[in-house]
Amino acid sequence: MNRRAIRKALNLLALSLSGLATAIGLFFLGAILWTLIKNGVAGLSPKVFSAMTPPPGSSGGLLNALYGSIVMTLIAILIGGPVGMLAGTYLAEYGRTSRISAVIRFVNDVLLSAPSIIIGLFVYELLVVRMGHFSAIAGAVALAIIAIPVTVRTTEDMLNLVPQGMKDASTAMGAYHWRTITSVVYPAARSGIVTGLLLAIARISGETAPLLFTALNNQFWSTNLLAPMANLPVVIFQFALSPYPNWQQLAWTGALIITVSILILSVTARIVVSRLSPAGRR
Amino acid sequence: MNETQEPTPEPRRTSNGNGNGNAAHGGNGAVPHGLRPRGEGGLNLKPSGRLNAIPTEARGTAPVDSSAPIENAVFRCRDVNVFYGAKQALKGVSIDVAPRQVLAMIGPSGCGKSTFLRCLNRMNDTIPGARVTGSIVLDGRDIYDPERDAAQLRARIGMVFQKPNPFPKSIYDNVAYGPRIHKLTRSRAELDDVVCSSLTRAGLWDEVKDRLGSPGTGLSGGQQQRLCIARTIAIQPEVILMDEPCSALDPIATARIEDLIDELREQYAIVIVTHSMQQAARVSQRTAYFHLGELIEVGETDRVFTNPRHRLTEDYITGRFG
Repeated sequence: MNRRAIRKALNLLALSLSGLATAIGLFFLGAILWTLIKNGVAGLSPKVFSAMTPPPGSSGGLLNALYGSIVMTLIAILIGGPVGMLAGTYLAEYGRTSRISAVIRFVNDVLLSAPSIIIGLFVYELLVVRMGHFSAIAGAVALAIIAIPVTVRTTEDMLNLVPQGMKDASTAMGAYHWRTITSVVYPAARSGIVTGLLLAIARISGETAPLLFTALNNQFWSTNLLAPMANLPVVIFQFALSPYPNWQQLAWTGALIITVSILILSVTARIVVSRLSPAGRR
Repeated sequence: MNETQEPTPEPRRTSNGNGNGNAAHGGNGAVPHGLRPRGEGGLNLKPSGRLNAIPTEARGTAPVDSSAPIENAVFRCRDVNVFYGAKQALKGVSIDVAPRQVLAMIGPSGCGKSTFLRCLNRMNDTIPGARVTGSIVLDGRDIYDPERDAAQLRARIGMVFQKPNPFPKSIYDNVAYGPRIHKLTRSRAELDDVVCSSLTRAGLWDEVKDRLGSPGTGLSGGQQQRLCIARTIAIQPEVILMDEPCSALDPIATARIEDLIDELREQYAIVIVTHSMQQAARVSQRTAYFHLGELIEVGETDRVFTNPRHRLTEDYITGRFG
């Protein structure tokens, strides 16, 4: 009876501790969202999506920054996505036990946890210094370098989850390894790989430090990839630190837009993925 | 890629013509499957009585290859050894696989029967550190000949696994997978025909004909295994290898698969690994007994179960161990 009481008390203690931990985590998430909405919604107007970033004191929007963020994130994922997926495929399918894979995995993990400012400096040396000026393409390359290790890791993990029996079945049908990978393994891991790509997009769309050194900023509308380009994170960074109320307001609104768009992206992708798998296509 | 050229399906269909050549194999082959008494032969014997009745020395303890080499064998295996790293998993196995006949491989766990099965379609190639020596001849050429392409070889040898492993695709796409990757069909209509006939022969058509577009993974275990068999026969293999195909299935599903094996025997050579001696007795015409990586005995199923020539075989089939 006594042991039972102790067990119950311990159970209650553990339950309440884990409940408390959950509550703390959720509280900060909720607090961040709440602050963003409270401060950001006030500045939301059609002008945010139609006007350029303004000089101090006058009104304006975030159109050039939105455009720049979308363009650079897209280019980054177009470079980093395929590279990361192919590298992950090599690790999971071809070099599972080889020594070089162990090295690649280790280097990838280092890159995964490397501070993003270092990557910004690296691309600064690599592209900005040689080109002689900041540019959108340098920003995209910096973001791609951040996206690659995330994609490598998730792709490898997701491919390893595909049951060996399924691969064996394809091999035993006389399929070459590349055919097994493209026709059986990728479809089986599709939702996981897409989730990984989304994680990478979410990661890079909020990166500020690497863009400070590469794409910098631009007060005006620019579609030239070889010129500096405005982007949300850097605009938020500059505007939030400024003493001008209209800039500060735009910074809050920009932060809200980034958060909400990542949220919408994840949710829609999840819906699409769950529709696609487990593959009812004829 | 040019993987599709070699396995032309036409010559293989000839076996339909001499389907009645079946009876020539005599023995069990002539007896309708359902009528054969279950647990025929040594399975019902009282071990003690039999073992004492025949002097041990008369039965010998050296491996017995009781089958003479088979004419027109599909596979001729001689002195096959398999090593996983330093460990030898298969020791000097020599055996022939006859056409249009079921060869059952029995033996305790870890005896090498699955390893041997995976030699026949070079699936051991996919295991790091696996090494195969000896000769396995198909069409007069060693299948481990470096000139030979393992994928083209596997396209002619179907395999059904222990655990049903349909692809995460629709039922239709599962069956169409092989014909598609080997480009066996020229039009969509032809592919439709192959899918339909394969599902029909696997006894699954009536259950799935209205939902060919739904995922193969949504079927029951027994249906999935029949889907895997349909997928295998869609590429018109010459041999079908089965690695304990019923061990994950309930008795009713097992009975259906066994009936199916009996029908497929009219066209294909079948090699089946099974842990169930009753199943071996029911479905096979020849039985091979493996023990600790060696082939102990092989012969007509009736003979092996009623009059095993080796002490180990007798101990196993009478339930002494295993």
